[in-house]
Amino acid sequence: MKHIVKIISLLVAISALWIGLLQTSLISPDYPLMLPVYLVVSLGCYGLLMVGVGLMQFPTCPQESMLLQQDIIEAKTFLRQKGVDIGSN
Amino acid sequence: MDLADRVIGFLLSCISLSIFTYYTFWVIILPFVDSDHFIHKYFLPQGYAILIPVFAGVALLSFLCIFIGFVMLKSKKKKA
Repeated sequence: MKHIVKIISLLVAISALWIGLLQTSLISPDYPLMLPVYLVVSLGCYGLLMVGVGLMQFPTCPQESMLLQQDIIEAKTFLRQKGVDIGSN
Repeated sequence: MDLADRVIGFLLSCISLSIFTYYTFWVIILPFVDSDHFIHKYFLPQGYAILIPVFAGVALLSFLCIFIGFVMLKSKKKKA
């Protein structure tokens, strides 16, 4: 609940800044009209960058996978000794 | 597989950073440069700065819809 209040206040602040820029006509009026498109594009770039970084440092743990495979083999042999049907392999 | 993933991630990061830098230059900095400066040769007119992202967004959205439709069709066929 607190998080959404933060996000909404950020959005309100950004839109107030944008409307202020539109109203003051300090610079040419069609220039601040680009800012929402720019924000959307930069959000997309941020998402793409986060996906790329996440792919680059994807956490793998090969030792844990080896331990897991050993555990699986152990459990299968144990169950087979007890006479449980667990498939062919 | 691991190396390929790493290369793809690096390429994605590079693409996104270059798009961000180019678009920032195009939209934020270029209106403050004189219109007869030589740097204007490397950028399209200002109108394309809206048109291209809108077209890209529409294309992405339609591609996503087509993909979801294909997946739903496939899952329905598997169930039947």
